[in-house]
Amino acid sequence: MTGNGTPIITIRNLGKSFGSKKVLKGINLDIYPGQIIGYIGPNGAGKSTTVKIMLGLIGDYTGDVEIFGQNIASGHVEYKRKIGYVPETAELYDNLTGREYLTFIGELYGMEYDEADEKAEKLMELFGLKRVYDSRISSYSKGMRQKLLIISSLLNNPEILFFDEPLSGIDANSVMVFKEILAELKSQGKTIFYSSHIMEVVEKVSSRIVLINDGKIVADGSFEELKEESMEGSLEEIFNQLTGFSEHEKIAKEFVSIVQGVDYYEGV
Amino acid sequence: MKESKVLKLLDNFKWLFEKFGVDYPIMRRILQLKLTLDGRRTPTAMVDSAKKKKEDNSFIKSLWFYIIFGIVLVPIVILGDNYLFQMSLVFGVVMFMMIITLVSDFSSVLLDLKDKDIILSKPVEGRTLSMAKTLHIMIYMFYITMAFIGPSLIASLIRHGLLFFIIFFIGIILMDLLIVVITALLYLLILKFFDGEKLKDIINYFQILLTIVISIGYQVIGRLFNISEILGIQYRHKIWHYLIPPIWFGGPFELILKGNGVSHIVIFTALAILMPIISIIIYNKLTPAFEYNLQKLNETSEIYNAKSKGFNHLLSRLVCGSKEEATFFRFATNMMKKERNFKLRVYPSLGFSLIFPFIFLFTFLKDGGLDGVVPSRVYFSIYFMGFMIPTIISTIGFSGNYKGSWIYRVIPFNNTKDIFKGTMKAAFVSLILPLYVLMGVIFMIIFKGKMLVDLIILLLVLALFMVICFNVLTKRLPFSRPFEELGKGEGVVTMFLVFILFVLGGIHYIATTIKYGSLLYISLLLILNIFGWKKGFDVDWDPSIQE
Repeated sequence: MTGNGTPIITIRNLGKSFGSKKVLKGINLDIYPGQIIGYIGPNGAGKSTTVKIMLGLIGDYTGDVEIFGQNIASGHVEYKRKIGYVPETAELYDNLTGREYLTFIGELYGMEYDEADEKAEKLMELFGLKRVYDSRISSYSKGMRQKLLIISSLLNNPEILFFDEPLSGIDANSVMVFKEILAELKSQGKTIFYSSHIMEVVEKVSSRIVLINDGKIVADGSFEELKEESMEGSLEEIFNQLTGFSEHEKIAKEFVSIVQGVDYYEGV
Repeated sequence: MKESKVLKLLDNFKWLFEKFGVDYPIMRRILQLKLTLDGRRTPTAMVDSAKKKKEDNSFIKSLWFYIIFGIVLVPIVILGDNYLFQMSLVFGVVMFMMIITLVSDFSSVLLDLKDKDIILSKPVEGRTLSMAKTLHIMIYMFYITMAFIGPSLIASLIRHGLLFFIIFFIGIILMDLLIVVITALLYLLILKFFDGEKLKDIINYFQILLTIVISIGYQVIGRLFNISEILGIQYRHKIWHYLIPPIWFGGPFELILKGNGVSHIVIFTALAILMPIISIIIYNKLTPAFEYNLQKLNETSEIYNAKSKGFNHLLSRLVCGSKEEATFFRFATNMMKKERNFKLRVYPSLGFSLIFPFIFLFTFLKDGGLDGVVPSRVYFSIYFMGFMIPTIISTIGFSGNYKGSWIYRVIPFNNTKDIFKGTMKAAFVSLILPLYVLMGVIFMIIFKGKMLVDLIILLLVLALFMVICFNVLTKRLPFSRPFEELGKGEGVVTMFLVFILFVLGGIHYIATTIKYGSLLYISLLLILNIFGWKKGFDVDWDPSIQE
């Protein structure tokens, strides 16, 4: 799929092994500004690894990754100034308050304390978290933590956003707000890299879907294009088809029968 | 977040950090955050009440321990003016203590992955983060070292004057630098060659080994000189002394205070100053690699062989009375084998238990030879093994995955006796017994089989001591509390337990001097053990257990 202008991210022949295990086997991608890329694939397909390589968290890869036209292997971290990231595992400094955490992150991005503080406070308020802004993160619920992470990824007004399962634990109302935020960011020309296992959301928000399986890209295109190609109705079905999975009913039946069998013996 | 004085002090060295390619304002910010977090290590349940508490409390308390311990050094510093020897000895002891502290308390800081994901995904160089981490550790190391040498530092000022004091002080700072950097470099080296779970295991065992090696090395320092002639001894220089860092730090005292310009003294002095600096430069060159390789900590390729049920299962059935007890026996055995955090905290004490008996043995051996050893019953040094038991029992209540303990609340039985008894048996079988067998065999060889009865008594004493420790120490459901809470205010209790162990050993000693005494003691211990292991684990679910 082609977009407008020059790509903001270029990935060429990206490969990565952990020990003898090949996680990525030659990924090629061009990503253009203003796209929301739904980056999907089964567990262990290499989604998070790709994202972490782009963020410079994992080294020793083969191939080239260029972001904003700069090869990230050069070791310069400056490109990260315009990147936001919501990691899959919500690692936070639990003993800090929301204010302390967000201002810290803001300052790491090179913002002034007051600027970061003001911005963070307003964003927290919009997410209904004003009340806990000065409470320790350890007292937050899962959804609150997730919202905090989303805010922290946006503080620096980034050009590229990496969202790795950003909606986990977030209530339905906030999900609606978040989806609107995505659309709004897209219209502002931001590029969003969105990984998730919730196909309904990916289907709705993405302008382009990239499906990887076993370290390779197996599908790349808009939802409509994928639908035409695979003759399936929903992204979930496309996902199942392309990852070669069709046994869900059989597995489910067997699963329940084992559950009941074990229960039966334990009861005697 | 408060502005600490340390940070203000650091501001003076801004230029130095920038020379190293560090982004100073960012590094300062990270460090500030770390210090704030340290002040808040209070458990999460009482978020609001914890705020009112004074920060840094437990750390300050532990400093007192170091100060009191540091008094030991005072005589070495003030006796005589054989500076090279005295100060090498002092630096040897301090280095020993500090490396132990560093490895056991700060490895987790050095190897923290959380930092990486949160901070390095921002425009922050790996070097800056590494420097912040290193400094974070340095600050604590500095406090601890200062507490530890505080008494002798003051003593040296009074006895040897200001110049001595200054050399001492600078020497200590250089030594701290050297220790932290060398340790980090060693981790880096290991990280370079191995990956994933295996790496964590290697680090784990390496830490344990390091602890043990150092404790032997510490003995060697003393042997360089004949301790019994502490004052009028002559130092005889050997080439290999250049390899022993504590001796380097003895050099400047001779050189500056006595004007002793012999070549080896000059070289020692040069090494003391240059080595820390060189190691920092190397470290700084290598740190970006360090942060990358750290990622390997999360990688794994290992698959555990699922043997059908295995030996563990058979064993659990053999030593446990009930099915539930066997379940917890297996659970605890698996946890102790796989949880590195647990191993990290317990295995060094296993190492000490292994080493100390021999150190004592050889000290006596040197004086009297083997013939002198046997009648004097030096083999009682094997009782040092028991020191590990309080550590094991108090550690067993903790886990890195303590949050998994919700399982205790939902299981359909609340028989704590089975939980505790199964766990204690697991600890005995998988930690104490192997060590006991190893030590037993070695001692039997050394003493030509003359102490079989004593070994039987020892085993019974250890088993009984375990029950006693369990009852005296705070009871916690196995693996149910975060490690941050470990070691709070249990020092005195442990002292008391060590005393009890000495009493049990003392009775053993007396028993060997009486006819049939050993037999009597064995019977008594057997009865106590049967009683103890039957009744000793009846604990009410509430409120004596900390969940």
